[in-house]
Amino acid sequence: MSVFEMFGAVVALAGALICTAGLARLILAAQRTPFRTDIAPARGSAARGVLYAFTLGMAPWVKESARIHWVAYIRGILFHLTIFLGLALLVASPWLAQILTQVRLSVAVILEVGAVTGLAGFWIRLREPALRQLSTPDDYASLGLTTLFLALGGLTAAVAELLPVFWIISGITMTYVPFSKLRHFVYFFYARIYFGLVFGHRGLLE
Amino acid sequence: MNTTVELKENKTAVSKETLGKLIDRRVLGALEVCVRCGICTESCHFYRSDPKVEYTPFYRAEQVRQLYRYLNDPLGRLAPRWVNAKAPTDESLSKLAETAFATCTLCHRCTLECPFGVETAEIMRVARSLATAAGQAPEMLVELANAAIAKGENPDFFRDFYLEQVKGLEEEVQDKLGSSKAHIPVGKEGADILYVPLSGAHTIVPQAILFNVVGESWTLSMFETANYAVFLGDIPKAKRIAERIIKEAELLKVKEIVITECGHGYPAMRWEAPKWLGHPLPFRVRSILEVLDEYVQKGRLHFNRGRNGEPITYHDSCNLGRKGGLYEEPRRVIRAVASDFREMTPNRIHSFCCGAGSGLVAVPEWTDIRLQAGKLKADQIRRTGAKIVITSCDNCRYQIGELNEHYGLNIEVSSISELVVKALS
Repeated sequence: MSVFEMFGAVVALAGALICTAGLARLILAAQRTPFRTDIAPARGSAARGVLYAFTLGMAPWVKESARIHWVAYIRGILFHLTIFLGLALLVASPWLAQILTQVRLSVAVILEVGAVTGLAGFWIRLREPALRQLSTPDDYASLGLTTLFLALGGLTAAVAELLPVFWIISGITMTYVPFSKLRHFVYFFYARIYFGLVFGHRGLLE
Repeated sequence: MNTTVELKENKTAVSKETLGKLIDRRVLGALEVCVRCGICTESCHFYRSDPKVEYTPFYRAEQVRQLYRYLNDPLGRLAPRWVNAKAPTDESLSKLAETAFATCTLCHRCTLECPFGVETAEIMRVARSLATAAGQAPEMLVELANAAIAKGENPDFFRDFYLEQVKGLEEEVQDKLGSSKAHIPVGKEGADILYVPLSGAHTIVPQAILFNVVGESWTLSMFETANYAVFLGDIPKAKRIAERIIKEAELLKVKEIVITECGHGYPAMRWEAPKWLGHPLPFRVRSILEVLDEYVQKGRLHFNRGRNGEPITYHDSCNLGRKGGLYEEPRRVIRAVASDFREMTPNRIHSFCCGAGSGLVAVPEWTDIRLQAGKLKADQIRRTGAKIVITSCDNCRYQIGELNEHYGLNIEVSSISELVVKALS
């Protein structure tokens, strides 16, 4: 392992540690906040509500907003799916050379598509007056780092020599996660669970 | 200089303490999960009627998030501009109050349209609580809440006057039924139902007629179901207002509380009161809509649908629907008593607010805003071709009545109970 590769690996591992510790702290803090949900006798089923929240409740065809903003909606879905693939590549990256070339090239293409959806995110954010007005520097930094992570992940899947660069970007991005809006994925589960609990318990999703 | 600093520190302390009490996991999730993607924009009736950035759900929630980040986010304190964090000031709290009270009816429609399910209405409820704690809430709402509490503290002061009014209404019921045996009982111990009306006769007379027709065991509450403290986000006061009715129900040993056709009154007593008290209520809570639906299903009432032959549409109150879960009960009753029922589009869980919910209708300064916000509802009503609009919320009823005049809809606004009485054979 070269010095550069060693450096990249250290940055990635440090980023992963900071990210894990930061997210653990956020989850513990969230768990310490009061859990207030309906205690009156149910009209429906909270459990069915939670199931709905993570399945049909996210389906674009039940949302008027998804029909209006179908480009942004599809972009968002692709972007997030490719991030999961990028993370899988990061985990598998120490064994990159052992992965079949065809698989690596497929991953490369998908991740580059993801990077394009990241760039499209900038375009949407800058084009819409309301979004432009309300976007913070953190929004752009978070989007930029994630887009870079996807772009370099794609390039690395095709050209293994770029692995240390991918590790460095991954480390920086992971370090930024607990301090930025990138942490929203943790709260996604809270938001969907509460949506399901409340709306399900009250019999709204029957 | 010191005074300014002290005031700023005081505002920060009050905001931090209030936020600290209000942020539970549900609100925390709503505050943190939004990525400002803007997909929710058109879900809001305010925005649809007047497309301004200030009327987008994410703009509104952002007013609270700026404060939340300043008080709770390490990056918000270290680099406030980076994450758009802002300290509480008189100006920001005043703006927050206007945003929360005048430009959001807490209808929850945007939650369903958001890919993450961000509960902006819950964030706005927190904003209302913050504004109330900072003394920035609309005076009218504060006075109405205080008046309800005063009535609960001195019920004897109002009793004779109230009983006299009820006597007059009882005569009206007897006239309509042609029977001197018809009664409006008040304070009847051991009755099955404690019926809680609003202050208007239209929430007592039709229901009294129906209870008398089916021979129900019931008694009329001394109090009205309206709980304006809910609109203020003032939980201690909301609890005190609800406790008046709960204590009355316990004293009279009734089996259930039945709430009149009131949007916020039903979810406040059915869903929120147990949370405020920290335990489930010792009796059942139902809406009059559920009771009427039961009468219809069991054939306890007989109708001549021809008496309601004009085209009728139903407006879903956000509080009864999206917060209460009552969608099918009113529709089953309307179909049983009317021959030409037409749905608005969209309806039920996707229904648009009338534009005046959550106390907007009570504040005269906001008349223009709510009439503008109601344009979407007016257009929906017009498209149905209905001549009668039924709604089970007094706020909605008042607003749709005003929309009728403002937009020239040429409709009549009524309630389910009145519609049912009209169809009695």
